[in-house]
Amino acid sequence: MKQDAYGMTGALSISESSPLRKVDPRTKLALCLAASLAVMLPLQKVAVFFVLYFMFLAWARLLPGALRQIWKLKWILAVLFVVDWLVVSPELAVVVTLRLVIVAGVFAMFFSTTTPSELCLALVWMRVPYRYAFSLGLSFQAVGHINSEWRKILEAQKARGAFSAPSGWRYPVEQVKNLVSLTVPAVVLAAKRAWSMTEAAYARGFESPNRRPYKALLMSRADWFIVSGAAFIFILILSWRLP
Amino acid sequence: MAVIQVNDLTYAYPQGRSVGPCSFTVEKGEFLHVTGSSGCGKSTIARCISGLIPHIYHGKMTGEVLINGRSTLSTRMWELSELAGFVFQNPSMQMLGNTVEEEIIIGLENLGLDRAEISGRLEESLGRFGLDSLRGRDPQTLSGGEQQKLALAAITSRRPPVLVLDEPLSMLDVSAATELTRYLSLLSRSGTTVIAFEHRADYLSSLPGVRVMALDSAASVKFSRRRASASCPDCKCGAKPLVISNICVNAGKTRILENMSLTVQSGSVTAIVGRNGTGKTTLLRAITGLQPFEGSVTVNGKKPDFGLVCQNADLQIFNAAVRSEILYRVNNPDMKLYARLLEILGLGRYENTPPLILSEGEKKRLALATVLIRKPEHGVLLDEPSLGQDAAHKHTLMELCAEIASTGKTVILTTHDLHLASMADRIVVLGPDGVTASGRTEDILADDSIWARAGMFVPGWITEDERKGITA
Repeated sequence: MKQDAYGMTGALSISESSPLRKVDPRTKLALCLAASLAVMLPLQKVAVFFVLYFMFLAWARLLPGALRQIWKLKWILAVLFVVDWLVVSPELAVVVTLRLVIVAGVFAMFFSTTTPSELCLALVWMRVPYRYAFSLGLSFQAVGHINSEWRKILEAQKARGAFSAPSGWRYPVEQVKNLVSLTVPAVVLAAKRAWSMTEAAYARGFESPNRRPYKALLMSRADWFIVSGAAFIFILILSWRLP
Repeated sequence: MAVIQVNDLTYAYPQGRSVGPCSFTVEKGEFLHVTGSSGCGKSTIARCISGLIPHIYHGKMTGEVLINGRSTLSTRMWELSELAGFVFQNPSMQMLGNTVEEEIIIGLENLGLDRAEISGRLEESLGRFGLDSLRGRDPQTLSGGEQQKLALAAITSRRPPVLVLDEPLSMLDVSAATELTRYLSLLSRSGTTVIAFEHRADYLSSLPGVRVMALDSAASVKFSRRRASASCPDCKCGAKPLVISNICVNAGKTRILENMSLTVQSGSVTAIVGRNGTGKTTLLRAITGLQPFEGSVTVNGKKPDFGLVCQNADLQIFNAAVRSEILYRVNNPDMKLYARLLEILGLGRYENTPPLILSEGEKKRLALATVLIRKPEHGVLLDEPSLGQDAAHKHTLMELCAEIASTGKTVILTTHDLHLASMADRIVVLGPDGVTASGRTEDILADDSIWARAGMFVPGWITEDERKGITA
């Protein structure tokens, strides 16, 4: 994991040790697509898929990261589970929760093993115009900075004494002011960053019709093995007749 | 033949601020150094030359800019980017790549070069700017100086016939700045037209064949050679020194500061200098308690109370007007001090102006005012306070520092600007192994061996007068 002088992660937490890191981004997109379709299956099949998918994440050394992402959703999952249980049925509560956990795991898998430029390449291969693919990649990259920028703002405001007012729930006005002192610089910085990146892109010939990509996507044997393996398992689950 | 022709150029931002009119020409292979006070429009003119104005800015531009006879108005932006490369003032906001390598490759891909050519240029740029060992790093995790070098590498690898640089030296240490100016001089001699908009004039004025153009009269203000303060040398005001004992700071697995010990006298202005990435900002953050560390930082055995002015003023500014920004959550504000801060920091006319539309230099001075109005008990810490500031404002800044120090408080600033450092009472030199030396400014400046150990040197234009601390 990359860290700056603030001890915080940089743009992205790319898991370099995962075997999926070297896999073609199109393969990973295909896996994401398969997993997204699999969540539509009935409970027993989702449960089987859930087990297989998390075994796959464990093999790919991505389980701790995926669990961290899922843990961040704990309150949403808990509320949905309780509401579904009370309003509809326990079965629906379980299946909805499993689906959300799988989707969160899929995103964790993709974004912790794919850089924005790889995402851009995959999108261009999928006939997305370069300007949109590049912009999407940049946005994806910029999202990674939000956490570190937020902490820098918090520190800077503390350092100037802007957080000198009493804290706690008994002082709601002061809490709102604190939030404003963090949000305004965050929004300003995000807007400035977006504008500066636009300037930088244009200053380097963005939108040139002569552009030739330096890196090319290449499906290796491992990629084909993963894609065909995933397809085989997917078909197996689909064709499984439930009692 | 003139490569750049600027004819009666004016530009008005949609918010109302305007620049110009100005006219000038630049010949092929010429090295033009453009100076001007903070906020006089240097960055705007740089953007007009590079074509970003009028292509992506939507204010009102009159007059014209011609590059190789082609008007920036009628030439497409991607074509202009091949004619004039532009290096921006704040590199950290403009990194497009996920790694150092990618950052350079993006611009080369847009030129339509084949892979072999891109590889060749990539290696050449990484080598020239000393970025080889950083090639796989995320640009956002680099120091300010490293980012500045990367921004330069990304643009110069495209080999544009005209290179426009907005404050290219602001984040570089003395060695890197000297190295860069030499490189720019070399580029200019080999036929590239170089236009540098830069406050740190001495680095450029020492080069042969550099033409200087001042955008306003304030630009000609010479940097004062007066020592900041000789205040409180035998401090009788009872203020105790800041004692830093064996502090260690880690960022992940990297140790940034290791067993650093330092005593900083109260009632003095201390400048911390060192090469990029030696931990200057980290040290300030540790002193304020923002950075977790092992060891101790105390004043009179207690945790110190310092105000910190960050390198990036945008982090600290959020109110609707300069007045409310300075007085935000200040209990019983000292209005005399408020009025004096407005006056000496040149913010008087902006009292009711939204801070966000101030220039970078003005924002920096505003951030300083927000800290000073609180009268922090032990003093203030300034992280690179001279960034984006002209000579007159640097001089004012050091006068202010001297005034604060004369009350027995401690002023610590980090800087790459040796002019600024030479006006402090004391200098601390940080090297790869921590504190290389600490002492009176004249002693430190006179000892070349100290600078050599820190991988730096005192340039020739830091005159003997400055070395000896002779006051103006």
